[in-house]
Amino acid sequence: MTAWLLLPLALSGLFGALGPRVALRLPPATATRFLSGGAILAAAASSVSLGLLTLVFIAPAPVLVAQGHWSDHVLRLHAQLAPVLGAAAAAAVVGLAIRFVRVGLRRLAAVRDAYRLADGLSDGDQELVVVDTGARQALAVPGRPGRIVVTTALLRDLDASERRALLAHERAHLAHRHYLHQSVAVLAAAVNPFLAALPGALELSCERWADEDATAVSGRSTVAHALAHAAGVRRAGTPAVVLAAAGSDVAARVGALSAPAPRPVLWRIAILTALLAATAIAIANAMHVTEDVFELAHRAYLAAHR
Amino acid sequence: MARRRARGSLESEVLAALWAADRPLTAADVVDAVGDGLAYTTVQTVLARLHAKGAVRREPSGRAHAYSPVLDDAGLAASRMQAMLDKGGDHAAILARFLRTLTPEDEATLAALIADRDEVSG
Repeated sequence: MTAWLLLPLALSGLFGALGPRVALRLPPATATRFLSGGAILAAAASSVSLGLLTLVFIAPAPVLVAQGHWSDHVLRLHAQLAPVLGAAAAAAVVGLAIRFVRVGLRRLAAVRDAYRLADGLSDGDQELVVVDTGARQALAVPGRPGRIVVTTALLRDLDASERRALLAHERAHLAHRHYLHQSVAVLAAAVNPFLAALPGALELSCERWADEDATAVSGRSTVAHALAHAAGVRRAGTPAVVLAAAGSDVAARVGALSAPAPRPVLWRIAILTALLAATAIAIANAMHVTEDVFELAHRAYLAAHR
Repeated sequence: MARRRARGSLESEVLAALWAADRPLTAADVVDAVGDGLAYTTVQTVLARLHAKGAVRREPSGRAHAYSPVLDDAGLAASRMQAMLDKGGDHAAILARFLRTLTPEDEATLAALIADRDEVSG
């Protein structure tokens, strides 16, 4: 039984290791959805594993036996759960739950502050807010409505088509609510340490998604140039500071823009789908197996106390 | 809804062009600066709307008007934005990724990629 309870956890680990590698070569919108959807499922899977192991570990305690009317003997016999494993699962449940709440509260505060910032940046429905500073920056601030903040220094470095690419890029972040995908990844990684690579992978896939959206208005080469210029490549010698349009893994993104748009490769989609389907089945199975054992234990309890 | 969004993005492009310029621009200048085959009348409409909002100021220039962007409380906006970025962590992450220093290797890679691209396309 223990093996069935551990299976969802093991599959979530497999997703954490393989998911980013398989997904990041897909079209970025597809990759993002697979990664954030998969992160939710994998976080659920590890939580179910650890939760059920903890339940089976503590259920034979006299207090719970009296409450739940199940035979502790039958439970122990069927579970065959090593006490060390049970105790470790219980400790992990407590530790990860605390971490989840802390990370969740931090994220909520950040989203609330972003909405307030967006509200205070401009009156009315003005999408673009220009800030007159010498730093080259561009940001997407989620809110109602979201705002695009760009500095004058960056605007002056770009030509008309590059400016259009930059605006389209930041607009894509807002339109597709990329901050939600990334928050999902951060929260999932908080409850499941196997998913530690997911936030970084989703950051990259969201940036690539925004890049690909920008190519629709400006062409691949223009977006690549806008990125490189925002990264400070045009002016050799100045301290190279990179931002929004040019944030993480700029070289990887420029590289991707130098190649044709990625295609939805069937085998990659098949691997991800199969892995996530197997995880969902393993979750259902673990719950079913546990239910069966408790049912058995309950009947034994009733027979003994008749 | 789609129309609204398109209108908003056109305003952003015109505003960005005005900010990128080092002098006030007439509607005809904006048509050139934005490119993308915009109609003169469209640009005029957008400029009038931006002017009504107080986002740009205009001055007479020959028989037309020249427009320049208004720096209202952008200083306040900048300090608010900076305050949020300075908090770092989740606060900075929500605003999209930015301000990362490139390593010399990154710069070399980027420069090479851009050069390759120019050779291919040019």
